Amino acid sequence: MLLARVEGNVVATRKHPSLEGWRLVICQPISATGSAEGVPQVAIDAHGAGMHQRVVISSDGLAARKAVGNDKSPVRWMIVGIVDEST
Amino acid sequence: MRLGTVIGRVTLSQTVPSLLGARWLIVSPFTREHFQQGTETPPGMSKDPSLIAYDDLGGAIGQTIGFVEGREAAAPFAEPTPIDAINAALVDEIFYRPASQ
Repeated sequence: MLLARVEGNVVATRKHPSLEGWRLVICQPISATGSAEGVPQVAIDAHGAGMHQRVVISSDGLAARKAVGNDKSPVRWMIVGIVDEST
Repeated sequence: MRLGTVIGRVTLSQTVPSLLGARWLIVSPFTREHFQQGTETPPGMSKDPSLIAYDDLGGAIGQTIGFVEGREAAAPFAEPTPIDAINAALVDEIFYRPASQ
C-alpha cells in the first residue's frame, strides 16, 4: 500500500467492461513529507476522493477484482481510504 | 494501471497456443513529466523502458492507453496465460493538476 495524492482523473469510453462506472483517478505516490515518489498510478475510486486529497492505494488485485465484482478484471490499484492525518 | 503512448505494434508468427491471433502494442509509459501534456503525444520517448502490452480494445499508434502490469494482467484469461501487461482502457481525456508545492 502506498500513500498518494490525487492529482487528476482519466476519462476512457473504451475500456475493460469491469471498469464501467468506476472513477479512474491519477494517484501520485508521495513521501511522508508530501514530495512525489515514483510514477503516477491510475486507481479505481469508490470513496469519492477529491483533487489533491491524500489517499492510501493498494495494489492487491484480488481485493480490487472483488470490489468491481468481476473475477476476470485486470484491475490492480484501488483507493482503500482517504487520509485524515499522518504523523 | 499506468498510462502510456502506443508507439508501435508487434505481430507474432509463432506463439503459445493460448495467444494465437492476439494483438500486441508497444507502449511507452508516461512518467510524471508526461502527465502535464494531456493526451497529446509527448515529444520524444519516455525515459522509462517501453513494453509490450496485450490488446483486445483496438489501440492504435499515437493513442494514449491505460495498461495494467503484473499478475493482474492475466486475470481476464480463463487458463494461465503468460501475459504481464494488458491494455485495459483507451484514454479519451486526462484531467491533471499537480499540487503546487
